[in-house]
Amino acid sequence: MTAVSKSPIRFKKASLLTRIRKHAWLYLLGLPGMAILAIFNYLPMGSLIMAFEDYNPFIGLIHSPFAGLKHFARLFNDDKFYLMLWNTLKISFLSLITFPAPIILALLLNEVRSNAYKKAIQTSVYLPHFLSWTIVVSLTFFLLSSEQVLINKIIVSSGGEARQFLFDKSIIYYIIVIQSVWKGIGWGSIVYLAAIAGIDMGLYEAAKIDGANKFQSIIHITLPCILPTVAVMLILKMGSIISVDFEQVLLMTNALVKEKLEVFEVYIYQNGVKSGSTQFSYTTAIGMFKSVVSTILVITTNKIVSSNGMRGIL
Amino acid sequence: MTQKLETGKLGGGLGMKAHETIYQLFIGLLLAIIASTMILPFLYVIIISFTDSSVYVSGTFYLWPQKWSTEAYRLILRGSGFLNALKASVFITFVGTPINVCANAGLAYMLSKDDLVGRSLINKLVMFTMLFGAGMIPNFINIRNLGLINNWFANILPSACGAWTVMVMKSFFSELPKDIEEAAEIDGCSTLRMFFQIVLPLSLAMLATFTLFAFVSYWNCYFSAILYLTDTTKMPLQVYLQKIVLSTDISEVVDIQDDLRNKVPQEIMRMASLVVVVFPILCIYPFMQKYFAKGVMVGAVKG
Repeated sequence: MTAVSKSPIRFKKASLLTRIRKHAWLYLLGLPGMAILAIFNYLPMGSLIMAFEDYNPFIGLIHSPFAGLKHFARLFNDDKFYLMLWNTLKISFLSLITFPAPIILALLLNEVRSNAYKKAIQTSVYLPHFLSWTIVVSLTFFLLSSEQVLINKIIVSSGGEARQFLFDKSIIYYIIVIQSVWKGIGWGSIVYLAAIAGIDMGLYEAAKIDGANKFQSIIHITLPCILPTVAVMLILKMGSIISVDFEQVLLMTNALVKEKLEVFEVYIYQNGVKSGSTQFSYTTAIGMFKSVVSTILVITTNKIVSSNGMRGIL
Repeated sequence: MTQKLETGKLGGGLGMKAHETIYQLFIGLLLAIIASTMILPFLYVIIISFTDSSVYVSGTFYLWPQKWSTEAYRLILRGSGFLNALKASVFITFVGTPINVCANAGLAYMLSKDDLVGRSLINKLVMFTMLFGAGMIPNFINIRNLGLINNWFANILPSACGAWTVMVMKSFFSELPKDIEEAAEIDGCSTLRMFFQIVLPLSLAMLATFTLFAFVSYWNCYFSAILYLTDTTKMPLQVYLQKIVLSTDISEVVDIQDDLRNKVPQEIMRMASLVVVVFPILCIYPFMQKYFAKGVMVGAVKG
């Protein structure tokens, strides 16, 4: 006690140390997680310097010649870059159109009286979320690809001519968007179901007494009540507008639709990783451009969400 | 229950009840159509995969084969291609899942303690990984520098700790009743004992949820495999499936003896491979379903 009154600074130091020592085991519990994040998320950030130099793996990161913004200049003069940006935006806007799908599903599910039936439907619609893109793309292949498979069997047996859906440039985006809806609609509806469950039942009873029918209560009670959730989800979706699910795009790519599905990560993978280290600097610059733009978008959209009094993800 | 009574009371006559029945039938039918688009493709694939090659004629469409056969499965399960891929997938999934859950839960529990020195800084550093990633090439170089190329740990470790999981677990831990922990602390319970004997048993439903999430994500691992693994015999099942579905001569991929080649039509082989790869997910899915009901998932989705 006397030490405290004599020198408060020393007391603070000792207290910090005891506080850290008190939680020593707690730090140990958190250590594996922190180590993984440090090694696999923070350590690679050092390699981002590559984007500003002419990286040569034999000289190493530190001694490779500095190139300034050369790679970024090349990026903005590259027609490929605009093609990739345009493709990404087209896929994102098409999937934005399907944004209401999970809301509609949640509204439908909420109307079901029988709990057993509701559960059975939920069990089926949540399932695709847990399937890999490899499975989803394989199923698409079985259903759509050559004359051997389902849709074409139906077309041929009814006298039509088999079509190569997966090699058709004009419909490949629709196939991609339909796959995404199929995979995500059930899982996406959970958050809206939770919002609907939070609505005061008294509102519906009051509306019923006033003579409102089912449709009117959905329009005038359910939708306005879940609007904040809808707004948050929509804004968050805007934050990922320059990202596509690239595992899906990579798996759907074939020689005939290649130019339609050229997006950033697919390009980086095919030109950076596969063709060796000569393109490392340029592809790192492309990746960095994309990361920075998505970070800005996510921060901006979250600011919009929280400035409207709602809780974002940050 | 109350809603039902209300409807009866206010609806009064039979007309209202009939109206309600038609409405329920209509909604039910719409949902059944949506749900069947999720289920029917699987049924189709499963049926074809069990069709006997003697009755299978490519180009004809039928709903029920006259003769069943498990020949395709016997061929796949015998091929060394499948066994190698299975070994890889089992290793990645069963070694990865415990590492993943322990790393996430430990870090989340640490961050759930308000008086921890450095808590807000660590919190911010964890959140930042959600916002910004170095990108594919820096990650690839990092894995190469660590000597993890062609090692299954390259598929396990980078995704073993995620900001989103840590945040959801953290909010779960901080909502646990404080008085239990306080009482244990007064009784002289150590931090580790508290975590393993009090906190974790109270969080079983949440832990089960994230265990299953981790299981699914490791089983579904595809891109990190083609990125970090170079040896074809080390590739997991998802890569095996992708090769089987897209290659023209699948007996190479399946790696079966010459006399067995082309015994079963390729299409049947492909569909049987899909069934085999998706089987574990379909097996654990009912267990996951249990936790949807408990509302853990809703919290997890809302974040």
